[in-house]
Amino acid sequence: MSSLSIRNLTAGYGRVRVLADLSMEVRGGETVALLGTNGNGKSTLMRCVMGLLKPAAGSITAEIDGRTHELAGAETEEIVGLGIAMVPEGRRLFPRLSVEENLTIGASRRVARRSLARNIDFCFETFPRLKERRSQLAGSMSGGEQQMLALARALMSEPRILLVDEPSVGLAPLMVRRTIEKIKELKEEKRLTVLMAEQNFHQALGIADRGYVIVQGRIVFTGNSTDELNDNELIKKLYMGL
Amino acid sequence: MVDPLAVLNAVVAGVLLGGFYAAVALGIAIAFGMLDIPNLAHPAFVVVGAFATWLLNSHFGIDPVLAGFLMAPLFFLLGLALYRLYHICFERRGEASLQGLAFFFGVLFITEVGLVLSAGADYRSVSAPYIGASLSFAGMVLPGRMLVPFVVSIAMIGLLHRFLARSFTGRAILAVSQDQTALRLMGVSPIRIKTLAFGLANATASIAGALLIIVEPVEPSIGRDFIGRAFAVVVLGGMGSFYGMLLASLILGITESLVSDMWNPSWAPAIAFGFLLPTLAFRSGGLLGRKL
Repeated sequence: MSSLSIRNLTAGYGRVRVLADLSMEVRGGETVALLGTNGNGKSTLMRCVMGLLKPAAGSITAEIDGRTHELAGAETEEIVGLGIAMVPEGRRLFPRLSVEENLTIGASRRVARRSLARNIDFCFETFPRLKERRSQLAGSMSGGEQQMLALARALMSEPRILLVDEPSVGLAPLMVRRTIEKIKELKEEKRLTVLMAEQNFHQALGIADRGYVIVQGRIVFTGNSTDELNDNELIKKLYMGL
Repeated sequence: MVDPLAVLNAVVAGVLLGGFYAAVALGIAIAFGMLDIPNLAHPAFVVVGAFATWLLNSHFGIDPVLAGFLMAPLFFLLGLALYRLYHICFERRGEASLQGLAFFFGVLFITEVGLVLSAGADYRSVSAPYIGASLSFAGMVLPGRMLVPFVVSIAMIGLLHRFLARSFTGRAILAVSQDQTALRLMGVSPIRIKTLAFGLANATASIAGALLIIVEPVEPSIGRDFIGRAFAVVVLGGMGSFYGMLLASLILGITESLVSDMWNPSWAPAIAFGFLLPTLAFRSGGLLGRKL
């Protein structure tokens, strides 16, 4: 099982500090929800883990198959190569490539190339809709289908740790529920360790083992179970409008 | 009364000419159509390829097509270096559009002057058994100096198309201009992919140059004749589509050939463009472009 550990992470853009001395961890096989509304640093944290943003201070370590790797300062390409994948916010598909081409590019990681055909079959089995639309351009599909494709594409690299950034954005409520259920199903089937950033509390808590609440770049509450998160007065006040 | 056989011959000559145009435009179809790099200097590199072919042919008697392929690896390396320079000076700072255009314009002039200084301003030509010969078939005449470039061009385009469609690197080349961050998240370095693709684009200039000097004698600034045509067929064919570019090249070649044979050679390019431009009004993504 693979795990992720973030220690005293500080990061930002130019002079604007977004994350301040943030620590959190995702243990092997867990699904951890990172909860917070827009602009509190969820995506920045994800970008740091993937090497898209270099942290100003702190460390990010990943343990994958018994080996520990320092991610802070590493290039995105290396981090993906280790077995960490991200479904980015807004999906970021290649709009003018077909569904199948998007999936194939997802398998560019060396170890995933060999099992390309098997993994494509798996994706088509898991998402029959993608099979029907395999030669359609990704940009011409509905939001829900695009989210499924983004999820499938991330799995094509055979990751051990999966980051999912705001899977519910821009989706109808029914599609949000289906997407989140799919993440749970895939996590169990592929024995993944999952970190999911969400602002949709109810949906995220439906599949998370634990969660952190992030406000203005700091972890303000650590819920060791979904009950703890559900019962927290701060969350009720700030995020659920209760 | 128009002689149908003359029309047929003009069409056939146009197809062969169009196939050759496509070889010149291929590098631009990659650099501009897939990487968004406005490489105005590509036709100048085609002329460099033609002079390199002339050198190998006149000194060592090497077949021009073979010479083009022999020089291709060198052109590939030159392409890698040129892209790196472009990337460091402009692309990395986000100043790629206008400054990049000026950069490649400068490279075009430097290349031409370099050619004049090193090889002189004279017309050069090559010799090969097929250049003077021709095939006759059902009343049609297929001159070897047009037929060989056509066949080589089609083969080169077909091979590169296959490479792009079937290999991981190829698919990454198709994707790189659409979302570089997403490509990094797939574990692929966009800069590495663009460098490689630009190298490939430049390698085609070596072969297109060999074809050019088979088609006609070459002097250093002759590449300028092709800048407009090459960019036009890439845009009209549909950015990123080789077969669209080939189709647009064939339409351009056939129209030019018909107009110059049947009416007046001076009007050929103008009418050919006039014929192609309306396609953009009806298909804004080009003839075969991938459009959402």
